[in-house]
Amino acid sequence: MDERTFARLAEEYAGRLYAVAYRMLGHRADAEDAVQRALTKCFAARDTYSPRWAVSTWLYRALSNVCIDELRRRRPTAPLTERHETAAPRGSARLELTRALEAVPREARLLLALHYVDGLSYRELAAIRGLSVNTVKSQLARGKTIMKRALDEE
Amino acid sequence: MDQLDTTLSEFFAPAAPRQLARRVLGRLTPAPDLSALIARFAIQASDRGVRRLAYGRGRDAATRGGRRHLERAREELLEYLAGRRTFFTVPMDLAVPPFQAKVLAAADRVPFGEVTSYAELARRIGHPRAARAVGNALGANPVPIFLPCHRIVRGDGTWGHYAFGGALKTRLLALERATPALVGSATTRVVCRHGCPHEQRIAEAKRIVFASVADAVGVGYRPCRHCRPEAEGC
Repeated sequence: MDERTFARLAEEYAGRLYAVAYRMLGHRADAEDAVQRALTKCFAARDTYSPRWAVSTWLYRALSNVCIDELRRRRPTAPLTERHETAAPRGSARLELTRALEAVPREARLLLALHYVDGLSYRELAAIRGLSVNTVKSQLARGKTIMKRALDEE
Repeated sequence: MDQLDTTLSEFFAPAAPRQLARRVLGRLTPAPDLSALIARFAIQASDRGVRRLAYGRGRDAATRGGRRHLERAREELLEYLAGRRTFFTVPMDLAVPPFQAKVLAAADRVPFGEVTSYAELARRIGHPRAARAVGNALGANPVPIFLPCHRIVRGDGTWGHYAFGGALKTRLLALERATPALVGSATTRVVCRHGCPHEQRIAEAKRIVFASVADAVGVGYRPCRHCRPEAEGC
């Protein structure tokens, strides 16, 4: 893959990569840093990219690896809500959803973000995270149940 | 699509800052590669393990066992500096006072990619008022990098002293930040510590990073029986 093609892809996907990273990390600067690191990694490995792979799978896998590793370093006591820079008014659906998302396990949260940001199929999600399609389905259902409960309680 | 799907699609809708792609593309820089530094380190080893790591030239091991430890230490150090390893398996042979041994053991338990403060380390070894003594004990660490005193920083977030200089401490911490610690194989569904021989055989397209062993187990992976990531508190 040449540099120009990579730049075009980065332009095309940057917004969606950022959205996934923001919902995973809960902080704008961290999200931008994660996109930067993921794209840097892909850029360095662009010669080894195989067209057999969907570009989205390649980019999202790099991003999810970066985000998940970043979450590993975070102390479990640091609540995500406080890190949001643009908190919605208390009681709003968006804030409730943000809080509910914190209660969703990391793997399910990532799958939810990938699924709703880019509408990726179960099969693509399975390829990105190295899971079986059935695991993807159960993780997504688990995440959605937690989110739904939060909305119902509102 | 039901109401929940619509709500979630709106919630997850991309809202990227303007010019994000241009900014990111303008900053594309290669990941830190410190492997060239290996030539600047001198390692000493005995029959029982690595005794010393310092700036200098050459290797020092009088016995056959020592040479074996020395070669393994050099190999692991090179892999660590190249971002291919997050832990060391070569044994250490330290002749240090009991307090320093305690401090170094506590420093060794700070996970890869994380930092803690001198005061916190002092608290962990049961001497909460001995932060300065902890700093001195770390400053006299005979095997920096192998025992990761670079993961200890001042309470205010500044780096503090480092035997190999502040610049190298920054580079080591940046390297650890850019290197994942737990990697799974999408083919075998086994999760390893980064640096395990099994992990080093995973193809780039099959590498899945996990935040914890529990996360990996939760989605159908099992811990590697060779590097045993669950035993290391990963």
